[in-house]
Amino acid sequence: MKLHPALKRWESVLALLLIAEILLFGAINPVFLQPSMLLYATSDFIHVGITALALTLVIITGGIDLSLGSVMGLSAITLGILWVGGVDIWVAAVAALAVGTLGGVFNAVAIHLSKVNPLVITLGTGFLFGGAALVLSGLAGATGYEGISNFDPAFVNLANLEVLGLPLPFALFLALTVGFMALLHRTRFGRYVYLIGQNPRAAAYAGTPVFRTLVVAYALTSLMAALSGLILASYFGSARSDFGTTALMPAITAVVLGGTSIYGGSGTILGTARAALLVGYLQTGLQLVGVSSHVSSALSGGLLVIVVALRSLSEMGRVWFQHRRVLRNVAAE
Amino acid sequence: MIIRFLQRHREASVALIIVFLFAVLGLVDHSYLSLDTVLLVYGNSLILFVLAIGATMVMATHGLDVSVGSIMGLAAVVAGLLMNAGWGLPASIGAALLVGLLCGLFNGVLVSLLKVSAIVATLGTLGLYRGFVYLLSGGSWIEGLPENFKALTKAGSLGLSPVAWLVLVLLIVAHLGLRYTAFGRSMFAVGDNREGARLIGIRVNEVQIVAYGLNGLLAALAGVIFASQIGFIPNTAGTGMEMRAIASSVLGGVSLLGGTGTVLGAALGAYFMTSIDSVLVLLRLEAYWNDIIAGAILLVVLITDGKIREAVDRLLRYQKYRKFIDPQAAAQHGDAAKAATRPLKTALETSEARK
Repeated sequence: MKLHPALKRWESVLALLLIAEILLFGAINPVFLQPSMLLYATSDFIHVGITALALTLVIITGGIDLSLGSVMGLSAITLGILWVGGVDIWVAAVAALAVGTLGGVFNAVAIHLSKVNPLVITLGTGFLFGGAALVLSGLAGATGYEGISNFDPAFVNLANLEVLGLPLPFALFLALTVGFMALLHRTRFGRYVYLIGQNPRAAAYAGTPVFRTLVVAYALTSLMAALSGLILASYFGSARSDFGTTALMPAITAVVLGGTSIYGGSGTILGTARAALLVGYLQTGLQLVGVSSHVSSALSGGLLVIVVALRSLSEMGRVWFQHRRVLRNVAAE
Repeated sequence: MIIRFLQRHREASVALIIVFLFAVLGLVDHSYLSLDTVLLVYGNSLILFVLAIGATMVMATHGLDVSVGSIMGLAAVVAGLLMNAGWGLPASIGAALLVGLLCGLFNGVLVSLLKVSAIVATLGTLGLYRGFVYLLSGGSWIEGLPENFKALTKAGSLGLSPVAWLVLVLLIVAHLGLRYTAFGRSMFAVGDNREGARLIGIRVNEVQIVAYGLNGLLAALAGVIFASQIGFIPNTAGTGMEMRAIASSVLGGVSLLGGTGTVLGAALGAYFMTSIDSVLVLLRLEAYWNDIIAGAILLVVLITDGKIREAVDRLLRYQKYRKFIDPQAAAQHGDAAKAATRPLKTALETSEARK
């Protein structure tokens, strides 16, 4: 039996899992199958997906960004502070995105300067950005974790706006998925990203602009994190400094579940997008069935462990079969 | 020379920063320069000490465990539930430690036998174990812990609580154990060069599993200390502690790439992380300055450290290839450092040309 090559791809497995998951929850609770339910449920988790799309680039380069959760909070707080300070909400939003992007550039420069593992550097900048968000919200008088609210109604309505029948955040996610697919799979920059992840030394010797590519990758990740912070601020109608703390781990989960190697060098945007939906709908579905949201996060953790362990096992099995075949051929001769 | 010394003894740089922090504090108010302050900070950093020991072991094997926060919470909940169900103190703490050990061993099996990358595996178990916390506690806080359990962290002999003494002993045992026992060294060997370690007869998988198991056990102990200190157990017990533990160890010179680091350094890192908290309180600054200061210092230390390491590497590389570059320069030992800034590429080109 020969499978069509497209079906062998991990993304196809994810798509099948996603459909199976939606049908399963639909069988338990038919409400889940209503299109409006399926579409509007995304607003609860789509910020994770949007961040995960850009994080895919960073992870393919062999890096990681642990600071993105803090950037979400920082961008939301920047927006809040500027708004309280009397700045127009749209100018404030652009400024918040700019702050986020600068954070990403800072990450890349720090990694480049110190040549230290990105994990460690972004751990440090995570504290730094998160701390900056806390300080800003503290100085603004919204002490601790209390939020800044009373935004311009036009901004708050943004998250509930519909574009072509889709909620705006979800439409944004789809558009960004297409954009990132084009960027990663159809441009020179995208090929550089893979090359750096496969072999940074070879990339440097081949004249790849390693530093520039990394700056763009990290800046995009932070930009998307900042955008997610704004989406959350619009969705909840308030800005808090701890917005992103729970988004970091699900974002990494989505990227890894989507088939991107944590060691860098391989992965696809489509995989990440489907995995983000898979994990997101799993949580929503479980909540709808009546499982508490905390247990459902445990299950998505369990899902990650099982899927990654199975993939690792199947890889080990494949190598074992290959060895056996080679040995058999040798013996036959 | 100073750079070499700091490079050899990464603990020293953290110790310097801690002393500096105290000096700043002393300038503000002399009354803070006392043993009481030191003990206060020590008492506040017990949890981080215990976690940092575990993180050092796991990081020594070139691993990483981001699930310790959840293991902490799980162990605390197990201990709390059993105590409230009428179990004795030793039995319930023992059960909690056992749960931690099992969680750690599971992480170890995933990483070593199933070859899942450490961060992905423990990221998954982070969610998984946190889910167990909610399943066990039913989503509510656990209160009404017995008084004799809370007394474990009340100040006792010489101003230190029983648990504080235990942690002190643990720190010494772990430091010496990692430096001077065959098993301790084998962890570093595995982290430095896994295949090489296997070839000289170290049971690589077992060492890794044990390192994660011990880390789980220590995380469980941290959870028990946490519960004893605050007297009740919220569902979120331990969240975010994994990042603080890793940051402490990194600050103290434990490399995420495995193979180097000491428990003493990690402990100093943990002490520093906590002393920022205490100093802020004593300086009457708002608590929200904490993270930004910790982050800034962490970054400065990391980047300077990276720079120093780069310079030392370049120096070593220069020593290695010196005889190919310029015979006259080789005779002069003095300006080695100056010439070391010469890129390797030119050095290799020169050596090629000489052939």
